[in-house]
Amino acid sequence: MFHMLSVGFASVFTDPTCITMIFVGVMVGIVFGALPGLTTVAGLSMFLPVTYVMSSHVGLAMLTAIYIGGISGGLISAILLNMPGTPASIATTFDGAPMARNGEAGKALGIAVFASLIGTMLGVAVMIFAAPMLAILTLKFGPWEYFSVTFFALTLIASLTEKSVVKGLLSAMFGMMIATVGLSPTDGTPRFTFGSLQLSSGFHLLVVLVGLYAIREVLLAASAKEQEVKVLEYKMKGLGFGLRDLKGNWFNLLRSSLLGLGIGILPGIGGSTSNIIAYSMAKNASKHPEKYGTGIPDGIIASESSNNASIGGAMIPLLTLGIPGDGATAILLGGFMLHGMQPGPLLFQQNGPVVYSVFAAMVLGTIFMAILMWSGMRMFVKILKVPNHILIPLIVVLCSIGAYALSNRVFDMWGLLLFGFIGLMMQRFGIPAPPFILGFILEGSLELNLRRGLEYSNGNWLDVFTHPISATFLALTLGSLIMTIVNNHRAAKKKLAQGVEN
Amino acid sequence: MSSDSKKEIGVGVFFFIFAIAYMVGASKISTFTPFGNRGLDSRSVPELLGILTIILSMTYMGQVWLKERKLKKILKESGADSAQAGDQKETTATPESKGTIVSRINSVMPVKLILSLIYLAVYTALYQPLGFILSSIFFLIAESFLLVNKDERKKWILFIVLFSVGVSIFIYFIFTKYLTLVLPSGILG
Repeated sequence: MFHMLSVGFASVFTDPTCITMIFVGVMVGIVFGALPGLTTVAGLSMFLPVTYVMSSHVGLAMLTAIYIGGISGGLISAILLNMPGTPASIATTFDGAPMARNGEAGKALGIAVFASLIGTMLGVAVMIFAAPMLAILTLKFGPWEYFSVTFFALTLIASLTEKSVVKGLLSAMFGMMIATVGLSPTDGTPRFTFGSLQLSSGFHLLVVLVGLYAIREVLLAASAKEQEVKVLEYKMKGLGFGLRDLKGNWFNLLRSSLLGLGIGILPGIGGSTSNIIAYSMAKNASKHPEKYGTGIPDGIIASESSNNASIGGAMIPLLTLGIPGDGATAILLGGFMLHGMQPGPLLFQQNGPVVYSVFAAMVLGTIFMAILMWSGMRMFVKILKVPNHILIPLIVVLCSIGAYALSNRVFDMWGLLLFGFIGLMMQRFGIPAPPFILGFILEGSLELNLRRGLEYSNGNWLDVFTHPISATFLALTLGSLIMTIVNNHRAAKKKLAQGVEN
Repeated sequence: MSSDSKKEIGVGVFFFIFAIAYMVGASKISTFTPFGNRGLDSRSVPELLGILTIILSMTYMGQVWLKERKLKKILKESGADSAQAGDQKETTATPESKGTIVSRINSVMPVKLILSLIYLAVYTALYQPLGFILSSIFFLIAESFLLVNKDERKKWILFIVLFSVGVSIFIYFIFTKYLTLVLPSGILG
């Protein structure tokens, strides 16, 4: 492993194009993260077509760099505008904005960048060591194990993302149904193609993703009223903070990072959830919870270290199982596929050098992120002032190129529009998008492995329970579903009781 | 029934109808089992998905209905005054939950949204016949003009036109010459 890792580092550090692209990627990511209303996913979608022609390690390095920059960039607007740039930095506004209003914006920014740096580093380090080991384990997976893990991931995300488990599951089903359009796995029968040649290849993953996330996001931002951006004044000398500002916060930093890492590993939820949980956890564990929300470093550290640690976490199931941890990693999955690689157990064996160079790129990207944020803050703040009416149309044009260039057909652009519309409707009716995406991505492997498993066992369904790993995951699935339903029921009862009292 | 519940029932109805249509489509999938059917054929999984969705959508509608009934019962018991208070509470509690962007959207009529969708459709339709450069110029100008604040239109118009033309040509050459992608050249050939 160490040999591979050193080869990976060597391939990145000796390639000036790669270093430049990582630098550009981080910068783009920070900009997208900082702009309220546009998230990392829009940045990734926009720059996908640029990576089509790059060699795989450069293209993927750039995409992961955008991811790292994007999660970190959100802190700028969270602190200076009191508006989270991405959902991953919602909790940063709780203490970051008050601190900035108290005239300590530079310190807030400095601490937030530091927490992001440590969080990302920790997450990436764990990923580098854990992913290859897990890959060895998943290599032993047969069809039943695969089926159960996929099934577990799907139900978990459905129950985690929405208050109503049924609604989450419906969303996942919807995604799976859309995924069945095209040729079926194993025997290639056309399904739901209505005789159309275009539909026989199904909807491309990137069309669905970019439509559902980026186009929806952009359309929503378009319909939001354009606001005059008022950026708070700030001064930042050096790193912006001193060591004594971190006093008593080292454990908080570690705990929040580990929490973010753990949440990142779970399918479908990442930085956008972990920052809020880490914040409330830090508050509960604190000796002075009443100070939270008034502008103390503790809150910023909890939020920013946890959301950044989720990056490494989300990459683990992506690389070892092909199951993306959040929206951004889903696009990365598409990026891997475009470069002819299938994330999953075989990835480390078949494309080891590329994977390790992606690891190296993430380390370098993290360092670039901190340097850029500390030294180039003034520039990013200026970009916050770029008006939406210039930016949004441009993003749409670039996303369209991405869709068109997939196979040089306008059909995929129509797909973009269709899924953008579906995304809007889902948002309007409160149907969560992550289960849909995961359902869409996983349907193929779920069906393939179910059919294979049944073929091996001569049609015996009970065979799935005789494999220890698959039986465990099925038990976990049942357990998590029951737990969510019981918890929801309790919460509803409590709410109802409170309503009566009031 | 409150408008929230109606919306939720609508979600259930949509999935129910979609699943029925899907099942009809699934029944037309041809199957191929030359060695006897030992497991599943290409029709089985879609059918399974359809059935599960029907069950889930019915469960969801049932849940919403039960919740609504419970709420009504409680409101009846606790009298009209608190009912009003409860109603108020419900309405104030929902819109804020999704953060600033969504609440901002709710405050404006989504005319811009509908127009954006139409522009995007026209852009897609003209992409091939007009070519990338011309269709993009039109789209960029139209969309930017739509999004800019009304009172600032005059100030921005020159910049928008120049920017749209410049960027479209720039992107076309970067992508086709340096990034070797193929983009439709259209009537400019």
